[in-house]
Amino acid sequence: MSHAVGTDPVATRLPIGSGAISLFREGRGRPTLFLHAAGGAGAWSPFHELVSERADLVAPDHPGFGGSDDLPELRDVDDLVYHYLDLLDRMELDQVDLVGASFGAWVAAELAVHSPHRVRRLVLLGPIGLRVPEEPVADLFLMSPPELVRALFHRPELVEAALAAEPDLDQVLRSYRELGALARYAWRPFLNNPKLERRLRRITAPTLVVAAAGDRIVPRVHCERYAAAVPDAELVVVDGCGHALHNEDPAAVASVVTDFLAR
Amino acid sequence: MKFNFFHLMPYPYLPADFDDVEKYPSPSLTFSNGHFDPVLGMRLYHRYLDELEYADQLGYDGVVVNEHHQSAYGLMPSPNIMAAALARRTSRSTIMVVGNALPIRGNPLRVAEEIAMLDHLTNGRLVSGFVRGIGWEHFAHSVSPAESRSRFNEAHDLIKKAWTTEGPFSWYGEHYEYRYVNLWPRPLQRPHPHIAVPGAGSPETMRWVAENRYLYISVYAPTNVVATWFDGYRRAAADLGHEPDPDNICLATPVFIAESDAAAYREGRRHVEWLFRRGLRHQSHVVSPPGYLSVNGLRGMLRTPTRSYADATVEELVEDGYAIVGGPDTVRNRIAELRDRLGFGQMMVMLAIGDMPAEMTRRNTRLFAEEVMPHFRSSPAEPAGVSPGATRV
Repeated sequence: MSHAVGTDPVATRLPIGSGAISLFREGRGRPTLFLHAAGGAGAWSPFHELVSERADLVAPDHPGFGGSDDLPELRDVDDLVYHYLDLLDRMELDQVDLVGASFGAWVAAELAVHSPHRVRRLVLLGPIGLRVPEEPVADLFLMSPPELVRALFHRPELVEAALAAEPDLDQVLRSYRELGALARYAWRPFLNNPKLERRLRRITAPTLVVAAAGDRIVPRVHCERYAAAVPDAELVVVDGCGHALHNEDPAAVASVVTDFLAR
Repeated sequence: MKFNFFHLMPYPYLPADFDDVEKYPSPSLTFSNGHFDPVLGMRLYHRYLDELEYADQLGYDGVVVNEHHQSAYGLMPSPNIMAAALARRTSRSTIMVVGNALPIRGNPLRVAEEIAMLDHLTNGRLVSGFVRGIGWEHFAHSVSPAESRSRFNEAHDLIKKAWTTEGPFSWYGEHYEYRYVNLWPRPLQRPHPHIAVPGAGSPETMRWVAENRYLYISVYAPTNVVATWFDGYRRAAADLGHEPDPDNICLATPVFIAESDAAAYREGRRHVEWLFRRGLRHQSHVVSPPGYLSVNGLRGMLRTPTRSYADATVEELVEDGYAIVGGPDTVRNRIAELRDRLGFGQMMVMLAIGDMPAEMTRRNTRLFAEEVMPHFRSSPAEPAGVSPGATRV
């Protein structure tokens, strides 16, 4: 698939569960499933563009996010794993390269634990999902929208740009809906599965964990513990980046990701 | 008209620099309990319970306790304990529990049991409120706001069935599972204690309360906003084919009454402003965290223009309808005007406002009972017609 230069690809809808989800599919090469973070649904970003230049990128919106329906029957991350296994079956993708960011990285790791053979290579960008009581993930739910933006980006000019205009009503409602979906999946246990860390040994795919040097949402120790617990994993740190990683520095993060997937 | 004496039981001894809103964004959730002095707290509980008992002696129709968690704004995490403390020390008034916050209870059957016990301890004077709990309380008790409404609905259905159905029966729900539900004791009142539910404009709540013919109580809001809620409740009832009893519509408001308007503003100003600027200070994203409201609910809320009360003066609060302040004539006239406009048959008045000292609270409670309540008692003196279309059943 390809789209005209200068235009974004059009999302397609796929009936599944009690409704339908929205997804982008673009590019040629190995099928690569990208699972987005709490933010970033519904949009084709420079990172998507760069990855799709070297892969067949499948980028769905999680239920409750972006253009996807709520699918209220899905209650937790475990349900999301089965949702994405269904999606892979429906798309007849036996094995994929799997890339997840933050919340999406948690879902990706759970999927790779559940069905190691479905994942050829795994990339976790600033993953949440582990229980680290001494250094928990920052409480996103307790932050006002501007506080969240300030915590996400490392570079002040990006924060200023993001906060320059007051969000309109639709943006406020969209973000409330998406964080509400996150609350449905992961309010308690708070953004973690206490059983995940000891299950990570099941992952067979070579795995890259990408940490942001200036992450103010997910403490570095989460990335380090993922890298330590997954049998064949390496950790890289991207400088000059906050938790937004691929949205803060799409070129650097895309090249780290695509180089690893091309190995 | 029925008058209920409502207590929030605030902790008034806030730090001197509490007006620094950066440092203290609210008195809840993260406002450290290092600021709580246990000895002062103990005295407050006894003083506040005395005030509720005094209201019973003065002839208020009801006394009201409520539920808040991890907040200096209200010291009643368990309203049932307060109701129990009042049960055998009061004799006339109903005791209205406006808790229990069903979603944040891990075990709603415990609510069914405690309310049934309270119904016996009060000789059937109990009114059982059911509330969602404020957003921050879902942080405080670690319950997902996204589950709040469905937990509320299921807990309500379970409790009502436990009160009204001979057990044992089993319950397999989305949130709760019991193989044996068989309450001992069953409640005294038949079929069960009357149920009260506060509303803040959610159309789902209005419809649900109207369907069940429960008591609908407003939360603090400007008069023009409350009018849309009560109208919505009546409209929802009309759609279901009935006219709600005005007794099932209750206006909640703080009232400060003194000998004259000038005296009321002079004496009441700091306490009313304390309530709204300090006690009720909040951050909207903590009060309505993600998932707590439906997207439509949030849309409705953001479209309703309301002036923030964070910096409001007492004059502005009175003008908007957040509070009633004045001498006896003014307070009486204002209540009559509100009743005619809003069509309520009950009021839940807060007469212990913010950091008011004990003596002032007693005076406010007594003046209201003597100067205002008799004027609205059912008698030939009561003006006919509560509001167009509303009649007593």
